[in-house]
Amino acid sequence: MRTLLERVAAGLTLALISPLVLANGWNMPIGVTGLSREIHSLHMTIFWICVAIGVVVFGVMFYSLFRYRRSKGAKAANFHEHTGVEVLWTAVPLLILVAMAVPATATLKNMYDVSEAEIDVMVTGQQWRWRYEYLGEDIAFTSNMSTPREQISGEAEKTENYLLEVDEPLVLPVDTKVRLLLTADDVIHSWWVPELAVKQDAIPGFVNENWVRIDEPGIYRGQCTELCGMDHGFMPVVVEAMEKDDYESWLAERKEAAEQESMGIDREWELDELMERGEKVYGSICASCHQVDGSGSPPAFPALAGNTEMLDDVEWHIDTIVNGVSGSAMPAFRSTLNPVEIAAVVTYERNAWGNEAGDTVQPSEIVEMLEE
Amino acid sequence: MWSVIKSVLAAFFGVQREQQRREDFENGRPVSFIVVGIAMAMLLVALVALVATLAAR
Repeated sequence: MRTLLERVAAGLTLALISPLVLANGWNMPIGVTGLSREIHSLHMTIFWICVAIGVVVFGVMFYSLFRYRRSKGAKAANFHEHTGVEVLWTAVPLLILVAMAVPATATLKNMYDVSEAEIDVMVTGQQWRWRYEYLGEDIAFTSNMSTPREQISGEAEKTENYLLEVDEPLVLPVDTKVRLLLTADDVIHSWWVPELAVKQDAIPGFVNENWVRIDEPGIYRGQCTELCGMDHGFMPVVVEAMEKDDYESWLAERKEAAEQESMGIDREWELDELMERGEKVYGSICASCHQVDGSGSPPAFPALAGNTEMLDDVEWHIDTIVNGVSGSAMPAFRSTLNPVEIAAVVTYERNAWGNEAGDTVQPSEIVEMLEE
Repeated sequence: MWSVIKSVLAAFFGVQREQQRREDFENGRPVSFIVVGIAMAMLLVALVALVATLAAR
């Protein structure tokens, strides 16, 4: 009988351990920040406490079922309450819970401590992209998914970072405390990067705070994790962590590009230049609803190719992009696109796919309209 | 009074002796349990708030 019992116990242990052995890749990642390692070890500590409780409780249960079975003549005890045992089984879980709450609270406090951050980044969720603004640095850009539509529709082979790649990642330096200020323009989104142990809701009208201090340079990928509409699955998060020097030179490059862009506002643009720029903007911002060929998906997303309402009225066309259409799926791009980008995309839409307005819209005109 | 407090504490914990329970039902008045119960619930809330404040420091 003893050997049978031992076998049962061994089988039970194996059943409990085997998922762990197989769990490589299923468990939460250890991550690349001090906080993520802390969270991971907390998670594992609590997991093993749960395993120990499971082994003890089910061990006693199965042992009793087996040892005191009726075929061996066991008689059921018929006593009513036992204060000592009841106190014990109330106090023991209480102590275990308190013991788990102490390290958990310490970690939570650490998570919420955004003080002494060296860099502040505003993260804004929009349907369906992320916008990053480096506060105090005059740098802001949107980060759009760059997975080609052909891969999504199955016309092309899916590549390694399918749905987890963007045109412009959030660039951060390593060994630097970065404060993230999260909000949203339209509906609730959630910014999640498992390797950084950050999962924070971005809520319209609220600013949530979180922070990261990345130890290793690398590219860390995540997703929006709050259902936010049609393209919820198509707004990934990509963070590129660089050495401090590389980050500084990246910052300088971005600033120079921003300066060039602001200089572009005043000058006259050629049709070809605007078309080229507009095609890029259209591809990353507009094409997910209005389609690459401008055919749209009526009635929700009107066709732009051959759209006479749009072609006959430039001002209405620009206004629709700048301010959106309330009550429809068309968002306002006032804060997402700069005047050059708006001018380019309007010009593009008026002259692509057989549209032949022939006119250009200049960035300076957009600036004027925005000032009104 | 002391036996009422003890009974309320036992109720908070979730375990009560059968003998004590019988005594409470024979000799106790409901209103005293209600008053002591509410007062001690408030005390518990204050205690939890205190612990949370200390932990947050």
